[in-house]
Amino acid sequence: MSQPIVISTKPTPALPAWIGLLPGIALLAAIGYLGKLTEQTIAAYGKAHHLALPNIEYVLWAILFGLVVSNTVGVPRACRAGVATYEFWLKLGIVFLGSHFLLGDVLKLGGLSLIFVAIELAVSIALMTALGTWLGLTPKLTSLLAIGSSICGVSAIIAAKGAIEADDEEASYAIGAILLLGAFSLFAFPAIGHALGMSDHAFGLWAGLAVDNTAEATAAGALYSDTAAKFAVLAKTTRNAMIGFVVLGYAIYWARKAKQQGVANKAAFLWQKFPKFVLGFLLISILSTVNVFSKAQLTDLANLSRWAFLLTFAGVGLQTNFGELRRQGLRPLAVGAVGEFAIAGITLALLLGANRAFGL
Amino acid sequence: MRLTLKLSLDWWSVIAALGAAAIVKSGILPHVPW
Repeated sequence: MSQPIVISTKPTPALPAWIGLLPGIALLAAIGYLGKLTEQTIAAYGKAHHLALPNIEYVLWAILFGLVVSNTVGVPRACRAGVATYEFWLKLGIVFLGSHFLLGDVLKLGGLSLIFVAIELAVSIALMTALGTWLGLTPKLTSLLAIGSSICGVSAIIAAKGAIEADDEEASYAIGAILLLGAFSLFAFPAIGHALGMSDHAFGLWAGLAVDNTAEATAAGALYSDTAAKFAVLAKTTRNAMIGFVVLGYAIYWARKAKQQGVANKAAFLWQKFPKFVLGFLLISILSTVNVFSKAQLTDLANLSRWAFLLTFAGVGLQTNFGELRRQGLRPLAVGAVGEFAIAGITLALLLGANRAFGL
Repeated sequence: MRLTLKLSLDWWSVIAALGAAAIVKSGILPHVPW
């Protein structure tokens, strides 16, 4: 779809807008790099002193340092715009990750993920709708929580907010619940995965299916292993690709309920909501499949992906403020928490069953 | 008067990744360390 060309008649500002992003990007890089240094320092100390220290990945350090800054001194005002770019680094990292998947694998694993995603979507939407109705949340807040838990957290809620005409307060309740549960799952999922002795493949698929926000799903996978992170990204990306269909369904439902005209051009609506970075992921995967890159170049692209994720994980911590999340009320959180635990349990059972049947 | 091409964050991430991949392919930069 061609993008609109906007002719701006505003006077050119003294400094370009991107300069305002630099302090925040520098903060992301500093915190991410500190996480990497901490991992390396602990590993070197253990080696030098012949100690068997647990290998805590840079991912967790970057998130923890970000959380400490965000929940103590807070993110400086000058850095906020730059810190918000963490979503850009996440998408960039995912596109680079395409270089490590042959197209055949993407289609095969994407097809397998698609079956799990379809089941996860149906279960999440039914469960969240039942819980929201039972606990007396507003119908639109219930819809937002159902969309957020079934698809991809924050971006799905933002996409749906306009489509179903929910108000800002309902959207911020739903986003708060999804983010708080995402932060919890970062720590809980790898612990459960290790306790159950899950394979990298099964764990990655589980994280991609059950953790709602893409950044947290990627981080949960990366905390387990590099391979698990790849599968988490693939499953989560498959889920993200479904965003248009679910939001369209809800938009039509709410338009009918309000006796308004529904979505006129459904194909345009689906394309508008489709996450375009998925196309970049597929394109890089195709280029790798046809051997455009040498082995050394593929390693370079994987390293670029790691650097992009380093900034993302620092941003996950910096963007999570527990005080603000707490202020957003307990009932949406209760619905979110009960629903998410149930979804995590159901998807886990599904994957363990599939693992036993097909050997994931 | 300024001509601004408005692209979404998704498209920028695709453009940036393809640009970086082209630089890696061209060999302009030495090995990307981790």
